Amino acid sequence: MSAPSAAFGTPKAPAGRDRKQQPDRLPAPEPHPALARIALLAAGLGLGSTTALTVTAEPASQLSAPGGLATFAGSLTGMTGTYLALIMVLLVSRIPAIERVAGQDGLVRLHRALAPWPISLLAAHALFLTVGYAQAARTGLWHEAGTLVNYPDVLIATVALGIMCFIGVISLRAIRRRLPRDTWWLIHLWMYLALALAVPHELVLGPSFVGHPLTRLVWSVLWAATAGLVLGYRIGLPILRTVRHQLRVVEVRSEGPGVVSVILAGRQLDRLPVSGGQFLYWRFLTLGRWWQAHPFSLSALPQPPYLRLTVKGVGTFTRSLTGLRPGTRVAVEGPYGAFTRYQQRRRRAVLVAGGIGVTALRSLLEDLPRGSAPVVLLRASRPEDLVLGAEVRELVRQRRGTIHELVGPRAAAVLDEVSLRRLVPDLNYRDVYVCGPEGFVAAIVALARDLGVPDDAIHHEAFAL
Amino acid sequence: MRAGAWLVLGGAVAGFLGVLGLHRPASSSALAGGTVTQGPGTQGPGTQGPGTQGPGTQGPGPTASPGRTTTAAGPPGTVTGPVVNYGYGELATRVAISGSRITGVSVPVIRVAEQFSQELADRAIPVLRHEVLAAQSAHIQAVSGATYTSEAYAQSVQAALDKAHFK
Repeated sequence: MSAPSAAFGTPKAPAGRDRKQQPDRLPAPEPHPALARIALLAAGLGLGSTTALTVTAEPASQLSAPGGLATFAGSLTGMTGTYLALIMVLLVSRIPAIERVAGQDGLVRLHRALAPWPISLLAAHALFLTVGYAQAARTGLWHEAGTLVNYPDVLIATVALGIMCFIGVISLRAIRRRLPRDTWWLIHLWMYLALALAVPHELVLGPSFVGHPLTRLVWSVLWAATAGLVLGYRIGLPILRTVRHQLRVVEVRSEGPGVVSVILAGRQLDRLPVSGGQFLYWRFLTLGRWWQAHPFSLSALPQPPYLRLTVKGVGTFTRSLTGLRPGTRVAVEGPYGAFTRYQQRRRRAVLVAGGIGVTALRSLLEDLPRGSAPVVLLRASRPEDLVLGAEVRELVRQRRGTIHELVGPRAAAVLDEVSLRRLVPDLNYRDVYVCGPEGFVAAIVALARDLGVPDDAIHHEAFAL
Repeated sequence: MRAGAWLVLGGAVAGFLGVLGLHRPASSSALAGGTVTQGPGTQGPGTQGPGTQGPGTQGPGPTASPGRTTTAAGPPGTVTGPVVNYGYGELATRVAISGSRITGVSVPVIRVAEQFSQELADRAIPVLRHEVLAAQSAHIQAVSGATYTSEAYAQSVQAALDKAHFK
């Protein structure tokens, strides 16, 4: 009996141009970019409506009253801040239809860029309202703050604000860099608690909601729906897939210095909708590992009943994977990622991988049809670091493509404008797919842009090492 | 990326204008402009409003509940205003009139949603009563922190005065 890894060693011939998918697997659903545009429009509509509801709820006479201006600013920052907090949650709720279009790294980047806004707005909300009420009552700020926390649900909302600000502070780049990833992530999870504590006071006291049953209903339904999406897509679907596929480690195989392939066997893998180039979060259910989920690309399309991921040992966790025992159960979340053939805008493509980025390139390549004539550039420092090389060469040959292996120190095997032009003369008629460590990806993306490849024809997936 | 920003912006403008357009402007406030601050030393003369109605508001404002515009008739010499719902609760006022003077205001009906609004109403109502007596009209200023209660109070008093043809 041959080892399970043999299922991946000699890739099957690709499907023809007409048969878009291999027949024995469920294809990943096609992304619909229109959905992302609709989502953006809806987000804008919500923001505008929220602002308008705040404005219309405020009696104009209130503005000229003592503290009226500050109170109005407090309502406005509170409403827009909460609305943006809702958007922040939606951005990371893993809605598959949106993930397929924008890619998880794109959504997370947006979440990270926007997150300071809701936190600042909500802090301003508390400050403005305290100032406004203090002015109206002609008392001091501290005295008024003491009065305000006696309002219904305001005390727990104040606690919530404290949690949000704390999370905001530890997420500042300078501080986050110094925290272990898991510690930061666990603290960051408290945000869900903070939001649950913060929402009630606005429904009970907010001028936009009191006496406006419809607004109150819509707002409550929005939050309940968002909570449902998070529970469904971040917890429910992964549990469903884990239970359905019953994945277990069957083989751990060394591919090169510090690089291992983990081969898993599972049931009904033909029903796992995955495209080449996508990744999953893997949770190896052993004593020391069950609590952490790590993202790794599939290094080949599933060959039911087998799946394969290939990992480079760079941290304590990844290095420990060589010690995985066959039989270990594995929980999965995903697949995620928009680094797929669906992103291709032009007829041909060039695929560039730096180091271990070859894993995603390998499975993406497998998804490209016969005769697609891809150009593949593999970059590695040493010949032995060129893992999966034989498989990639075979896949390229089957697709009548070209492969260039750039091996050696950076100075010797340089990838710059001149060499890229020489290796890919028809670069401007191809999509550029780049995968690898962050620095490598950034450099190649910049290079492709400089050479005139438009942004919508450049696709990348960076591995955070 | 840039197209996305335009979509969000366009949506925001459309949403803002849409809600503003759909919003039914409420009747003008029953209150005079300005706010009265609760607390010692604020009661007394000088609380009379300028006699003009406040600027039109787009707030929820108090609304008289149709079909419940009257409560049980009070003692002779009094006239009872409608029950006015102000979002956080509802109240009705009863005005005692002797000749051409308002001699008293009471609140025969008050129902509130929760304890906090009850406390607010308990604090605001004596101030509002004093204001009406001083102004000899419903043109009073809102009690700070109790704008909606004040508006409902003034509206109910005004309706009662209208009913009595008081001017």
